[in-house]
Amino acid sequence: MGVSIKSLKDGAQKAREKLPALAGKLKESAKKLPDPRAIDREQAKKLARDFWYGKPHGERRLGELYEDKTGLYKHREWRGVKDTFYYFHMVWLYNYGSLVGDIMKYSDPVTFVRGLWRYRWLGQSYLPLLHWFDRGLEGLRDEALRASAWHFRAMVSVSVNQIANMFKADAKLRNGAHNDAWQHTIAHKETVWGGVFYPWSDKFAHVPMEMIPYFVTCHVNNHTVLNYIDAVQGIGLPGDPCPMCQAEAGLFVLDDMPDYAPFVVTTNEACDGSVASTAIQDWFLNCPLFALPQPMQFDDPLVQEHCANEIRELWKFIEEQTGVPFNWELLKERLESQNALQRFEWEKWDVDAKTPYYPINGVAQALYRIYQSQYGDHPIWHITDKRVSKIMNRCVEKKIETFPKTRHRVIAWSCSPLYYSHWCTWAYNCWGLNTVINMDSLMFDMEIRTDTLDNCVMDMARYHEWAPMRRMAVGGMHHIFELWDYMERFNCDMVMMYDQLQCKGMQGVVGLFEDEFRKRNIHAIWMPHALPDKRTVSRTEIRRIINDYMTTVMKEEPLDPSLLEFDDDMSW
Amino acid sequence: MRDLKHLIFFENLLQEANNDLVKQARSEGKRALGYTCYFMPEVLLDLPGCFGVRLRAPRSGSPDMATYYMSNRTCHYGRALFERALEGGFNFLDANLATETCTVTCRFQEHLQQMDVIKNPDFFSTFTDVPFKKNENSMVHFRKQLQAHVLDPLHEKFGIDVSDEALMTAIEEHNEVCRLITEIGAYRKLPNPPITGYEFHVIQLVTLTCPKYLILPYLRETAEELKTREPEAKFPYRCRVALAGAENDDPAFTQLIESCGALVVADRYCYGSLPGREEIVVEPGQSPLDAVARHYLKTSYCPRFMPQEQMRERKQYLADIVKEYHADGLIVASNKFCEYWSYERTMDALILPRDYGIPTCSIEKEYVNASTGQLRTRFQAFVESVEIKKLQEVK
Repeated sequence: MGVSIKSLKDGAQKAREKLPALAGKLKESAKKLPDPRAIDREQAKKLARDFWYGKPHGERRLGELYEDKTGLYKHREWRGVKDTFYYFHMVWLYNYGSLVGDIMKYSDPVTFVRGLWRYRWLGQSYLPLLHWFDRGLEGLRDEALRASAWHFRAMVSVSVNQIANMFKADAKLRNGAHNDAWQHTIAHKETVWGGVFYPWSDKFAHVPMEMIPYFVTCHVNNHTVLNYIDAVQGIGLPGDPCPMCQAEAGLFVLDDMPDYAPFVVTTNEACDGSVASTAIQDWFLNCPLFALPQPMQFDDPLVQEHCANEIRELWKFIEEQTGVPFNWELLKERLESQNALQRFEWEKWDVDAKTPYYPINGVAQALYRIYQSQYGDHPIWHITDKRVSKIMNRCVEKKIETFPKTRHRVIAWSCSPLYYSHWCTWAYNCWGLNTVINMDSLMFDMEIRTDTLDNCVMDMARYHEWAPMRRMAVGGMHHIFELWDYMERFNCDMVMMYDQLQCKGMQGVVGLFEDEFRKRNIHAIWMPHALPDKRTVSRTEIRRIINDYMTTVMKEEPLDPSLLEFDDDMSW
Repeated sequence: MRDLKHLIFFENLLQEANNDLVKQARSEGKRALGYTCYFMPEVLLDLPGCFGVRLRAPRSGSPDMATYYMSNRTCHYGRALFERALEGGFNFLDANLATETCTVTCRFQEHLQQMDVIKNPDFFSTFTDVPFKKNENSMVHFRKQLQAHVLDPLHEKFGIDVSDEALMTAIEEHNEVCRLITEIGAYRKLPNPPITGYEFHVIQLVTLTCPKYLILPYLRETAEELKTREPEAKFPYRCRVALAGAENDDPAFTQLIESCGALVVADRYCYGSLPGREEIVVEPGQSPLDAVARHYLKTSYCPRFMPQEQMRERKQYLADIVKEYHADGLIVASNKFCEYWSYERTMDALILPRDYGIPTCSIEKEYVNASTGQLRTRFQAFVESVEIKKLQEVK
């Protein structure tokens, strides 16, 4: 107690010492404020307008909101009365409320807290979650803010659902006991499309192993994953393989993967590293494992039957493991539901490609689409799509230009930096670079037939082959050069060329891209990164590269110079 | 030991992809068919009228042009091959029979398709989809792929006879090569072998890179010679090791290990004979193509295979080799930027000492090994540690 009183006294003394300096700062700040007597009528109007609507793009100085070297906010962004209140209520309050609600709905709070305590990836990413919203939605107004926020919200809800499903079944939270939920959960690699488990979805939950612990946490808190990468290198793996696979393997090395299912389904998607890292995962898991291969040469009509047969083999394996027969009616029902999601995605692309009224920003488009199409059907996607559909229709009907300061329509190609997926929000705010579409969104570009089982399985095989990081990356080099067609289709004049430094497939094609960019006279910015590992190329470095291109090649002035340089390395 | 009669000749054949025997076969009107991976069955490329050349880029330097196209963060082997192709070193090829079995060799082969690199008007390149499993579905799929992407194009474009009879002829010739290599390789199991790991490496490589019908007479003679070849009076090495790992077509690497005092008695790596030189058996009533497809999937222990039992069998296979060839230890080498072998090597280095008690040296190397000093230090230290272990076992 004595120590506490002493420390309180010390604190008070320090505060007293700081007071004169603080007073000085206040005086300085007061001097900067306009003298009320000097404000003329026009200025008053402007101030009132800025207060009511928020400062217009071009006059904003969003970079001044950050605490130096942290990327954290000194205070929230003033978006005008309506949008600030919308953000406060419908993003902050709504999401905090929903988080609690979702936990209660999908799980029980005690189990959730125990999981929070047990698993580093959750402990480190749960609280910074709303900062992820802030980064992704910075500077957005009106319809763009609303539509993009709904996408974020849906991803959070499905993530909580997955976490809850893992923890409900997790033997590690129950001293190794295998409960009924453990018996009724299917674990699979995050790159296995969730649709292959639809025939059992009435009795079994399917949870991708790495989707939350690795993929989602990377976006929310970019520090979390580094630990897993270091762990797998600690057992002797060199540093050059794909860091995504490294991190996925590292989760197992550090025993940070819940034990929530009696068997596992893996795949060779997306690359050699996924196959190779499965060997490490298998070693740690030591449970029945089914490998679901995706053929590489997917244009070849001969591979379809092979792939379809492997899906059938998987279904046999699940029947053997669970004792529950395959349910064709349920598969049909869920696929038709998923097809509805695809049809709305096409509507979105249509608006995106042909009009300036598309209300979803680059990061929301990319993450929602990859999450939704990879994980598979879920009620929240439909609820979200309905909400977004309303907003989008309103934009089209009223001709609302959602990103009015667009200078360039950008297509982002190859796979993006997970620790800086919100770069496109920054790029629009700072430079007017509007990322209208990205490569991963364009995967899984099909509906699945449900008229007969044979047709259905053949389509599922095709869908499975057109997975993220895959559709354009394998099956022949011509697929990666479909970029030119998509540029035309989405009316883009610039390419943000992701340069994943440890992706052998993309590194193996850089020269031909350079040749083509020159030949076609296309403005392309190469954005080096190492997928989840921010230590290789920092966010600051990425911004510097874009800034350099925009000033030296494009000879343009920034819309918001305060965003040119800031250090957010310590930020989530 | 007295030098093998044909060793210098063999060594010279390895100095160029377009070596004297390749030139001779082409001058006799045979078609030269390039390939990079075990999953492209060489026996199908050795049908009458054509011959397979497993691609190498001997005497490579810095692959500058290839690095522009494929960056410096991809496997040096893939880049070295592409550099050689850009230099014109593969213009003798009439076709490339490609497989998408590892990313960088795939990209190299795609560049051959995409760019007009091979200056041969007849040149074409076609990809075979190779399955990741060994189940019946994969066997059938692989057979169909080989028919559609190897036999059919060879017949259509070059008029190659791809009948069952022709396939049986190729299989017989292939099997003779396998028998001879197995016979020669088996000497390495002896306590004091009459052949070094380096010599064997050279012999194995010439069988992959030269027309079979032209190399066979030399092989037969070498096998005969080895029957009476006297080894050194006393075993001249400090220990025996098995060498496993990724692509390795550089006999100088084996030589480097042996110069550190470890005889390389087993070669379980891409371009090695374990596995690779097992005879193909055609069962009565079975089509030769079916036998070939099944053989290549069954015999391979590539880290590309995904099923659980195959991931685990690979470790057992390695342990069995070590035992069969009486190796004191294991060296696992992966090429830098090789995804498959980076993981496989890590696992081998953990599992083989722990579960099988096999001393294991894990190293990363380049296709062109400039840093021999560092590798030498590693190998010397490993040899010493194996020696100490042996001494402790004696005590």
